[in-house]
Amino acid sequence: MRTADLIELLARDVRAAPPGVVNRKLLAALAAGGLVTLAIVAAGLRCQPLLEAAQQPWFWMKAAYTGVLTVAGAIIARRLSIPGARIGAAPLTAAMVVLAMLAVGAGQIYFAPPAERLALWLGHTWKVCSPLILLLAIPIYAALVTAMRGLAPTRPALSGAAAGFVAGALAATLYGLHCPEQAAAFVATWYTLGIAAATAFGGLAGSRLLRW
Amino acid sequence: MLQQEETEERLRPLMIRSLEGDSGAHRQLLGMLGRYLRGYFARRIGAATAEVEDLVQETLLAVHLKRDSYDRSLPFTPWAYALARYKLIDHLRRRSRSIQVPLEDAGTLFAAEDAEEGALRTDLDRLLQRLPDRQRTLIEEVKLQGLSIEEAARKRGVTAVSARVMLHRSLKWLNQVLRDENG
Repeated sequence: MRTADLIELLARDVRAAPPGVVNRKLLAALAAGGLVTLAIVAAGLRCQPLLEAAQQPWFWMKAAYTGVLTVAGAIIARRLSIPGARIGAAPLTAAMVVLAMLAVGAGQIYFAPPAERLALWLGHTWKVCSPLILLLAIPIYAALVTAMRGLAPTRPALSGAAAGFVAGALAATLYGLHCPEQAAAFVATWYTLGIAAATAFGGLAGSRLLRW
Repeated sequence: MLQQEETEERLRPLMIRSLEGDSGAHRQLLGMLGRYLRGYFARRIGAATAEVEDLVQETLLAVHLKRDSYDRSLPFTPWAYALARYKLIDHLRRRSRSIQVPLEDAGTLFAAEDAEEGALRTDLDRLLQRLPDRQRTLIEEVKLQGLSIEEAARKRGVTAVSARVMLHRSLKWLNQVLRDENG
């Protein structure tokens, strides 16, 4: 088939494309994946008593940390799904937020009495926290990568890492509904580690999954 | 730089009209892009290489199928360039992998090298033969007889909507197969 014939054929397949498809696809994926993860948290892990927790600053500290990372990650994933778009300042913002959280966590350990330091850092659930966040990120990652495949990410590994980061951060936010840990040092370490693992696995899988 | 601005000014309105459903603008846009792509790929992988035209077709198909990923508030040329570059990198990546097959296969790999400029190694018509009958006939009627989708649909006794869906699916399928064939 000559190229001119192909163009003729493609011209027959033209339909009006509504603007904003990129945002809609990505948001729908986040909602769908997020709902699956939320269902697992609510039914499988059980939420902590939310009315009481919602009155505590630490509950909102956790939600704010992972929530901001989710938004920053979503912006990055969106930019990476559009060929030629600049990534912008979102990665820097995310890095600053993580560094700030690490600093607060380190400060908390530093100012705590030496005898309490280990308990603050490890809490009661340090062994399961990061692995659970990683597992909870899977449905979100799957939905997001499916949506991104329908767009046009030109950097597969980086785009996969961004999808993993968003999935990890949103999973951590939802995990916060269950997890009763209160220490900043705990969140800075184990939540961050879970999100980092999701980012790493997301990049590895993305380098294969996000080719089109 | 100035030249790129001119190109942007010519192509972006075409893209926007194409997204509004103007098939004439779409045809014009792909035609112009095709000429740029041919020059770009020829410079990158050698003018007389048979893969140039394959890549042009593969990229035009991708531009067509990935139109949704273009954000109307952004310039068009960086979008198109990023897509072309992605297709080239993907092509080179797959080609360098195929060099690692045993030596006796090297002959088959380089057999097509003497093709003339603009020649195709992968013929889309041949690939289309693999489609189920209904889809293949539809494409042939649209392509060879120059029927519109509505006319072809009436002739086949299907609704225009399902004919459109069929054509779009066939093109998506073609994109997938073309990518595998060119690897």
